[in-house]
Amino acid sequence: MTKKQKQKVLNRILLHSFFISFILLTLIPILYALTISLSGSNALLSSDFTFIPQDITLANYQSLFNDEPLILWLGNTVILAISTLTLALSLAIPTAYVLSRLRFHGRFSIFRGLILLNAFPAILSMFAIYRLFSTGPISLINTRLGLTLVYAGTMVIFAILNLKGYFDTIPHEIEDAARIDGGNEWQVITRIVLPLAKPAMVVTSVLILIFVWNEYIFAVTFMTGAENYTLAAGLFSLQAGEISGSWPIFAAAALLTSLPILIVFLFIQKYMISGLTVGGVKG
Amino acid sequence: MLKKLTPYLNSLPALILISLIILFPIGYTFYISITNMNIFNWFEFNVVGLVNYERALFVLDSGFFRAAFITLIWTGLNMVLQLLIAFIIASLLNHRDIQLKGLYKTLLLIPWAIPGYVSILLWRTGMFNTQFGLLNQWLRAFNVAPVQWLSTEWLAFTSMLVVNLWLALPFMIMIMDGALQSIDRSYYEALKLDSNSIIKKARFVTIPLMKPAITPAVIITLFTTFKQFDVVYLMILQPGQRTGADIQTIITYAYENAFITNNYGYSSAISVIIFIILIVFVLATNRDLRSEKND
Repeated sequence: MTKKQKQKVLNRILLHSFFISFILLTLIPILYALTISLSGSNALLSSDFTFIPQDITLANYQSLFNDEPLILWLGNTVILAISTLTLALSLAIPTAYVLSRLRFHGRFSIFRGLILLNAFPAILSMFAIYRLFSTGPISLINTRLGLTLVYAGTMVIFAILNLKGYFDTIPHEIEDAARIDGGNEWQVITRIVLPLAKPAMVVTSVLILIFVWNEYIFAVTFMTGAENYTLAAGLFSLQAGEISGSWPIFAAAALLTSLPILIVFLFIQKYMISGLTVGGVKG
Repeated sequence: MLKKLTPYLNSLPALILISLIILFPIGYTFYISITNMNIFNWFEFNVVGLVNYERALFVLDSGFFRAAFITLIWTGLNMVLQLLIAFIIASLLNHRDIQLKGLYKTLLLIPWAIPGYVSILLWRTGMFNTQFGLLNQWLRAFNVAPVQWLSTEWLAFTSMLVVNLWLALPFMIMIMDGALQSIDRSYYEALKLDSNSIIKKARFVTIPLMKPAITPAVIITLFTTFKQFDVVYLMILQPGQRTGADIQTIITYAYENAFITNNYGYSSAISVIIFIILIVFVLATNRDLRSEKND
């Protein structure tokens, strides 16, 4: 071996050992939760804790389905996620399209306004929304409609900005060609623009779904009845504190809740950077 | 005529929803901020002018200044550490002799792919819990007395910093990796820098060439860090589970005054101040807003 080859082998060994130890270090909280969720409750007290559980049991997971309303929370979350996604996208697509394509009076003011509003954390006006919802003519507290409106209102801004940013990168010529061939506006949008904007559509939709899946503070504050809890609100109520709650059951619920997001996320990984940074906004 | 109305008709539904759910509550927050609304004056509140703003901005021990100071330190430290660590890791990912890069990248991405609140709660219970948190289990194994990680200011702040870095680094690493890949290797050769001056290379080639690619991501992260609520709230401020560490960022401070101590007027004033700070931030950083009208 020449000196150069030796250096290469040494570099590889160093790189591998760095990445393996760094990644293991970062995954410790997740690995620990996984181990605890698979062990019996006495594993907590044993002094010789190992990352491989002594006797593997699914009891904690079973208890989630038998003793906790996990399925109910899941159902609530899915309904909220789908209604939010439908409402936000159906309002955002036409708006993003006209903002990107048509020149009209007020266009730039609307765009500026949306950028400013996107910077506003919804939590700062949470009390105002709560008061409006509870004292208004129809009480929207503890209703799915209320929470859907809040979520869709927040996400429609993000969706408009992200989709507009991507629409801007699609050349007009393709659409003009379709118009000359006799396509109407609706056909131009659904058959030409949306398929071309697939990365942005995928990322925008997934980020809206993830937002609803992960949102807990509005869910906990606005959904006062446990029968309306989302997964996030349910998990929030299950969490183990210094004195209360069961850490193994919480760990099992936390991992189950994360799994769908983790899978979707790794699946769209390749779209993630292009679909987000082109629009210039992050959810 | 109809053609002229098309853009307005298309955007009207979205604008109505945004006006009702986002814009109107912001205006209402502003209105509440000039009243004395609190738990005792829920229905019979009066407009009191700028009293709440005076209390926030001119009463030094109001708590707002302390929260603002902590928020600044929090944002600054987070940004410096994130940029530094992400740069080192992304550079190693782009080392000439790297193998299995795709696999390592995917594994490094995992913290980003787990719901943020789940991660924070797993850290709080799994790592920092006094009895069965891993950190204290390890200390016990070495016969060291357990530590209350989240009960004192310095330890709690450091713990939250670690958790926030854990949450935020994957995004920054991916952005930096993308930026590094876009740099043509010939730049390094053209400059003919001797092979062992890594610092020179970084200073004269890598960092200047990365700058345009990472700037938007850095600005986005700056906002997320400044507005960070979940880490602080979930780790030390949850009702009934407060750990005793006296740390508030301006966002948690606004939240606490509304939902815990019920000073709605004062909390709304804090919200309005934060919104004004954010608007200034956006105007200073957003190129779309600074450029002259482009229509």
